[in-house]
Amino acid sequence: MIKLDHVTKSYGPKTAVKDLTLEIAAGELFAFLGPNGAGKTTTIKMMVGLLLPTSGRVLIGGHDLRTDGERARRLLSYVPDQPFLYEKLTGREFLQFIADMYEIPDDEARRRIDEVIDLFNLADFVDDLTERYSHGMRQRTVFASALVHQPKVLIVDEPTVGLDPRSVRILKDLLRKQADEGTTVFLSSHSLDVVEELADRIAIVDHGRLISCGTLQQLRSHAASDGSLEDVFLRLTEADTAASTTAPATDGKGLV
Amino acid sequence: MADQPHSESPSWFLTLSKALLGRQTVLFLRLQTRLVTNSFLTLYRQSPVRPLTVVCIMFVIFGFVFLVSVEGFSFIKLQQLALTDQIVGTVLDLLFFGLGLMLVFSTALLLYASLFASAETSFLLSRPVAADKVFAYKFHGAVAFSSWAFLLLGAPVLIAYGLIGEAPWHYYPCLALFFAGFALLPGSLGALLCLVVVNFIPRQRKTLIILAATVALLVLGFLVYQIGDATQHNNFDRETAGRFMNRLNFARSPLAPSHWVASGLRAAERNGPDDLGLTAYYLALVWSNGLFAYLVTTWASSFLYRRGLNRIATGGSLRRRYGGSRLDRLLAPVLVFVHPRTRLLLVKDFRTFRRDPAQWAQVLIFSGLLVLAFFNIGMFSGDTLWVYVNNISAGNVLLIGLLIAVYNGRFIFPLMSLEGRKFWILGLLPIDRAQLLWGKFVFSTTMTLGFAMALTLFSDVMLRVPWLITALHGLTVLVLAFGLSGLSVGLGSLLADFRETNPSKIASGFGGTLNSIIGLLFLLATFSLISGPWHVFMMLDNTVAIGVTGWVEMGLGVLAGLGVGAAALVVPLRLGIQSIRRREF
Repeated sequence: MIKLDHVTKSYGPKTAVKDLTLEIAAGELFAFLGPNGAGKTTTIKMMVGLLLPTSGRVLIGGHDLRTDGERARRLLSYVPDQPFLYEKLTGREFLQFIADMYEIPDDEARRRIDEVIDLFNLADFVDDLTERYSHGMRQRTVFASALVHQPKVLIVDEPTVGLDPRSVRILKDLLRKQADEGTTVFLSSHSLDVVEELADRIAIVDHGRLISCGTLQQLRSHAASDGSLEDVFLRLTEADTAASTTAPATDGKGLV
Repeated sequence: MADQPHSESPSWFLTLSKALLGRQTVLFLRLQTRLVTNSFLTLYRQSPVRPLTVVCIMFVIFGFVFLVSVEGFSFIKLQQLALTDQIVGTVLDLLFFGLGLMLVFSTALLLYASLFASAETSFLLSRPVAADKVFAYKFHGAVAFSSWAFLLLGAPVLIAYGLIGEAPWHYYPCLALFFAGFALLPGSLGALLCLVVVNFIPRQRKTLIILAATVALLVLGFLVYQIGDATQHNNFDRETAGRFMNRLNFARSPLAPSHWVASGLRAAERNGPDDLGLTAYYLALVWSNGLFAYLVTTWASSFLYRRGLNRIATGGSLRRRYGGSRLDRLLAPVLVFVHPRTRLLLVKDFRTFRRDPAQWAQVLIFSGLLVLAFFNIGMFSGDTLWVYVNNISAGNVLLIGLLIAVYNGRFIFPLMSLEGRKFWILGLLPIDRAQLLWGKFVFSTTMTLGFAMALTLFSDVMLRVPWLITALHGLTVLVLAFGLSGLSVGLGSLLADFRETNPSKIASGFGGTLNSIIGLLFLLATFSLISGPWHVFMMLDNTVAIGVTGWVEMGLGVLAGLGVGAAALVVPLRLGIQSIRRREF
């Protein structure tokens, strides 16, 4: 469902993402980890069409984002770390705008909007202007808008920041449920406990390169550690920093 | 409880609109309508006084410009000058030429901010929406935002022209039609300029800005010189006037869209046998070219917008390194009289300012134009009639005052709002919050006073103005620099809008507009009280003795001017300081 084919992205003389190849299947919950400045956000921005790869291709559902971007973006939903809402729209008007954008017929749109309002408990404030929302309310509204058109691919960047424990629980259940129902979930997060609990496969990037990719067990083997994901993550990234000249070593389909 | 009823257009209307305009265009039109409606309703419900005040002030300005224009056109008509038709034609040509230039640059700047540096466009571009539709949506907003000043200041002039010329009824709807069509042309040109710059020259942005500013200064300097050269005679006789008109021909070229609008409106006003056809011809010319330019621009955006966004995000190095500059170090000794903590805040504001070329480039161009104009006025010295010198020196002081007012309105007023949602950082600093305002006040006066005073003295020396008048001009500029800074800093704090991140929008919003209007009134009042009476006296060509009463009255005027200046300084700053001390985070 998501395919990154030898993707490289340069910012002037510096390379933010180096020859990244990944292939993520439908219904998979894929976690994308890395230290600050590792190239995660750049990769995500290329996956949603906000940036163009310097070389290589990004395909969503078989559609190349460079040549067939509108179709590719129709399949996905993106929840950035700093989500956007129109301050002068109510939550319901925002959801309706999204439904109109994805050409959902009126009756079906009303039904789906009611569903996501229930799912995220928005009823108390959905008819207020979003400028009055707290961070948690904004986050829940943005998630509701991301699901209103039932995307095939859900890309989320740091979704748990600022959420209370109950909202984090709801979010985790939701992400798992989405993946179980066939949606490909691409999760970028620094909350390693959340990733450890949810992810089918995990990729770790550092200095723009993929340093490891696979199930948690495979990552443990690679790191030669039986500890938590945190231990594995630290061991792999520290090793990479120590030997930053190590050659890239993965096709993204399994353990490096 | 709902804030706004969720009203929907009738389905047949929607279906028809989508069929005619396209689904995504209708989507954005509905979004724009909803946002404007909700904004207005919120504003009205929260504080009905605000929108009503804005409307009242707009009526006052509109009425003032209208009355002045009626007087002006009546005067020209009564004189029955041989060149009346040419004078009016030139005035209209220049009006639309100037407006066109303003629209080109303001649309380009607004679009740059809204297309390439806004969270909204990042949101929209990650959705299945065509880039040209997003571009068109932002383009409409930018052109509408750029054009409102014309509606406020240009429309009363043109309505007055129609009334004095006893124009037929169709002149007035034509006015709206001509303007709407005309706005598309400079708007599209500005948008294309923005796309081209972002797509093809982002890596040499600084070089480009310096180059563009230099070219603009040279071209405009040449034009100013030409116009000035045409009037370099003792008497402003018919020959001189004719030469003067000829030098303004750049705005009257048959290929200039501004000339089409001016000619079309003049034809509509004349209402002769062939004039209706001529009006229709010019209207068609303006609209067909406007729509064509719009089409070309949106077509270009379909492949240049995403590319430009990508280039602007990745054109430079991954992390650009910023550090101190010699300018920052130069600022420290200048501000030796300021408390060290306030100085730190000042350096912060200065760094923000110098790192935003879009801001300082505008000041540079405007200031450069004034310097060029003042160089050019050297020709009025010597054998030129004293009455011209008197009027020109008065006009120069007003222009310098306007420069200070524009600088304060555009750059100083938004400073407090631009602290934005991170304002709590400043709120938690171990300093009296009043220092934040004093810091911005010192920043503003330091940036304006030296330059404005130098310009004033330069202008008066070039014109060989008597020392007493020069001293009064200096005093006027001093009062203006302090008063306008106090107004902008005080009102900027009192009417801060922490949600808005675009300084242009803060300056053009309610608070910014109110600040500009009060600033202009203050400028007129200060000039009228301190320098105005002396210029009126001088206009009498030194033939009338001033007398003791005259000296006392003019002295009182100076004192009153100083009083107005003190009020402009103290009252807004007090209000601003009270507001910032009360503010919760």
